[in-house]
Amino acid sequence: MAIRGIDYANLSLKDALDLAILIEDEAQERYEEFATQMDQHRTPEAAKFFRYMVENEAKHGRELSARRVARFGDAPSAVSRTMIYDIEAPDYDAARAFMSARKAMEAALASEVKAHGFFVAALPAIKDAEVRALFEELREEEILHQTLVKAELAKLSPDSQLSDEDFVDEPAPQ
Amino acid sequence: MRKDLVFGMAGSGGDGIVSAGDSLLQAAAAEGYHGVMTKSFGSQIRGGESSCRVRISTTPILNPGGNLDVAVALNWEDFLKFGAELPVSGNTVVIYEAATGIPENQIPLVGVTPLQVIAVPIAAMAKETAGTERAKNTVVLGLIAGWFGIGAVAVMKGIRKKLAKKGEELVNANQRAFDAGRAFAMEHPLKTSMNVAVSDTKGAVKLITDGNDMCAAAAIFAGCQFFGGYPITPSTEIMQFFTDHVWKYGGAVLQAEDEIAGIGAAVGASFAGKKSMTATSGPGLSLKSEMMGLASIAELPLVIVDVQRGGPSTGLPTKTEQSDLFAAAFSAHGDVIRPVLAPTSVADTFRITIEAFNIAEYYQTPVIVLSDQEIASRKETLDPIDTTQFKIINRVQPVGADLLDYKRFKQTENHISPISHPGMLGGTYLASGIEHVESGAPTNSGSVHQRMNDKRTKKFDPLKDRKDLFEVTGNPHAPIAMVAWGSVAGVCREALDMALAEGLNVKLLVPYLLYPVAEGVYNDFFASVQKGLIIDQTHLAQTFKLLRMHVDLPKGVKPLARSGANPFLPSDIVAALHNLLSELQRSHEGNLQPQE
Amino acid sequence: MSATGTCEYQPKDYKSDLKPIWCPGCGDFSVVQGIYRALAAIGRPPHEIAFVSGIGCSSRIPGYTTAYGFNSVHGRALPIAQGIKLANPDLLVLAAGGDGDGFSIGGGHIAHLIRRNMDITYIVMDNQIYGLTKGQLSPTSQKGRTTCTSRYGSLEEPVNPLLYVLAYGAGFVAQASPTDLVGMAAVIEEAIRYPGFAFVNIQSPCVTYGEEEHQIKGLKAISESLAGLGHNPADRLAAMDLAQHYGHKMHLGVFYRNPEPPPTYGDLVKERQTLLSKDALPKERILDLFIKK
Repeated sequence: MAIRGIDYANLSLKDALDLAILIEDEAQERYEEFATQMDQHRTPEAAKFFRYMVENEAKHGRELSARRVARFGDAPSAVSRTMIYDIEAPDYDAARAFMSARKAMEAALASEVKAHGFFVAALPAIKDAEVRALFEELREEEILHQTLVKAELAKLSPDSQLSDEDFVDEPAPQ
Repeated sequence: MRKDLVFGMAGSGGDGIVSAGDSLLQAAAAEGYHGVMTKSFGSQIRGGESSCRVRISTTPILNPGGNLDVAVALNWEDFLKFGAELPVSGNTVVIYEAATGIPENQIPLVGVTPLQVIAVPIAAMAKETAGTERAKNTVVLGLIAGWFGIGAVAVMKGIRKKLAKKGEELVNANQRAFDAGRAFAMEHPLKTSMNVAVSDTKGAVKLITDGNDMCAAAAIFAGCQFFGGYPITPSTEIMQFFTDHVWKYGGAVLQAEDEIAGIGAAVGASFAGKKSMTATSGPGLSLKSEMMGLASIAELPLVIVDVQRGGPSTGLPTKTEQSDLFAAAFSAHGDVIRPVLAPTSVADTFRITIEAFNIAEYYQTPVIVLSDQEIASRKETLDPIDTTQFKIINRVQPVGADLLDYKRFKQTENHISPISHPGMLGGTYLASGIEHVESGAPTNSGSVHQRMNDKRTKKFDPLKDRKDLFEVTGNPHAPIAMVAWGSVAGVCREALDMALAEGLNVKLLVPYLLYPVAEGVYNDFFASVQKGLIIDQTHLAQTFKLLRMHVDLPKGVKPLARSGANPFLPSDIVAALHNLLSELQRSHEGNLQPQE
Repeated sequence: MSATGTCEYQPKDYKSDLKPIWCPGCGDFSVVQGIYRALAAIGRPPHEIAFVSGIGCSSRIPGYTTAYGFNSVHGRALPIAQGIKLANPDLLVLAAGGDGDGFSIGGGHIAHLIRRNMDITYIVMDNQIYGLTKGQLSPTSQKGRTTCTSRYGSLEEPVNPLLYVLAYGAGFVAQASPTDLVGMAAVIEEAIRYPGFAFVNIQSPCVTYGEEEHQIKGLKAISESLAGLGHNPADRLAAMDLAQHYGHKMHLGVFYRNPEPPPTYGDLVKERQTLLSKDALPKERILDLFIKK
């Protein structure tokens, strides 16, 4: 999780909204990538869950975009994707070949916790009241996302204690 | 008056015999003669045995000639090391250094009585006239001018030009040594005069160069803008020529860290859109073979020159051989065709190198130019070449609609896909050594692999119909035939002329395209043939075996092969043709008898 | 470079449609992201970029970009890259591969690109193992490591890639890791901007064959920012001193940046071409060089 070239103290509401949208975009893209990786490795349960997360992130992103347009129209943005990295998106390292749905959910949960942490850490530096309010809202949103993932986790039947590695083929040499 | 003379001279590197050969060739050219000079060395860098053959003629020359007409030995030990490369016969005048102390009737040549043997105090004359024995080579040139009428004026003119910067005294010392040699010859006339007739092209412009320089010049003419290579005898002069000249044409040359990097850089330059080249000899060809596989599958144009020497491994690095034929035809792994072309002389190295670039560019493929040490390092006098007669082909590039949905390896009717290069908008693709679909994306699919192999091999079919890459001479319906390529082709051309003059019904096929084997051309050629020779300078008869893989050779066609540094003489070939004729006659007589 | 230099391109403009074959969790997913970002920051259009690799898991990387890619043969990314650069010095040329590609089979090339100061950025994804062939010892594997080709432990000291390139005189040497992607993108960008040969060693874990301590968590534990240490990147000896800790510590950032970069090979080639172009005989008269009168 990292950020580059953003001055929280002087962050405008427009830029804060744009930043939030970019964070959702990044997460959405990453979940899409993970879903594709799982497809390639024939791990449909995990792929299905990552697609569910794609939908969630997209939905949230759309809501934020609508607010941005309503308030600021198409005024140019001062923030860009190169300024953020892995805020709400799960780390690439979180994916594994043949990961179970549970492992996938745990990875997503960790990234929602991470995102929550980001907003918590950013808040003290923010001066603008509206931006503050937005960040507090986003912080709470992350808690909501965590709840969603936890609900999915609860639906799972308990895992066997067997390791996936005991069942899969050895990697293929190229 | 003689029309043709073959000189063979040997000494130690310190005797400057090769430099004398150079002066003689240049003087002969200045006097309008045709000339060919070959050099051969021992393995020592300096001071080992050195030799040269210079053949001078009033008519165009096909090869460096057979038995020597004139042998010059500055010491016998060095001369004898060249064995069959400097063959002395009963028609040879032998000139040697009197200081060797060997009487004229005891020279160490076994089984042969030369026409005349003359001991000359060459070193003493040099010391006396020039103040140093190092002027021996100039004395020899004086002897040649006196006895054979070549270079009386032109030799010293050339030497004066060469040494002008080094001061008058040096020039005068050489003049005195030359005059002394000439005077000695005048005072001791030969038993049989061997003066060469005056050339009828006296005053005409002549070029003199060797196969390596010609190859490099042809490459630049063909538009080559990048050379990557590594020093290896006997190909290095190609890289040297590039370092002298290619910059002027906006190109670059890289003396790479190794053979692989040399061809790697050339592959990169080709990918970047430039015509590019590398040159090497046998061991380097082996090192380059993985990259050749890459260039084949990535369909990148590239010219690889292999100047063959005796192999395997270091083998005979300063001697000629044709034993890289298999390595060239089957260079690298996988199912692939890489065209192999072979020049037969310095002169046609120009055309064949241009052809190599044209084929590389048109078919988007690596092409091997299989030269050999003899062609690469022999110097020939040439009549000026009209360069405007040569067509230059460039790779077909994507334009307009091709670039909207560009597919680098698109299947087309002729199996050749327009090729883009970095910098071209819309043409980005992945070049790769891994099998790929039309877009360039990697694949493991067997069916795609099959299709792509088809594309990469069938595209060469039209090449086999290129009759202009084959030369048939002699009687087209002859029952006796020869096939020869590279420097051996020149020997066979002369043998053909001799055999035809002796009334033999014979013909010769010289392929410039060695691979892919053009089955049709050979089938046509062999249709009339009952007896024949596939002649090459290899130990395993590689040409014969390569042809037999592809062509149903008539039963009477056999290999005539020998290892490198054991040159064929035209007379050897003619003798072999006579044997074939006798066999043919015997079998005809046999046919009159009831079969067993 | 684009007219404005930056912001015309987004990272996604450099991402191709090809799906990576890498194992989920592989460090190289982050590396390619870092490259997209660095390229976007530089802003050269993809078709003016040539990206060359050798063979290995990481060498698949050019195919995942929209640049002209060349996935060549094992160990030979650098020779091919230098041919591209010499053929067209105006291109942005990147080379990438793994530690086996760069320091074993192709280990002989890097020294020569450095001494030529070829303006090429070379990114090594160093995972200390041969992944594509199923987990054999690599030139950067630690001594004693057990793999399928070292059942009883490796008997060899690893190559130190950082010290290696510093010793040969590389003008730009940096190290990065997926543990800090922003830092990675920044050093790749800086490497590309450096006028000359630039080397970036990226400690990119192999999730399938890598050792536990070489996974992200383990790497984080031994990582230390060079900037944080107050290292002066103009100090080559200090850089070499720090580079000695390769394998034990993971220093991130720029080890060395030559404050006065010498001319690049491409510059010198252009200079020579310009100087000599006036001596060119027309090509159709090139054989006049052989006239003897």
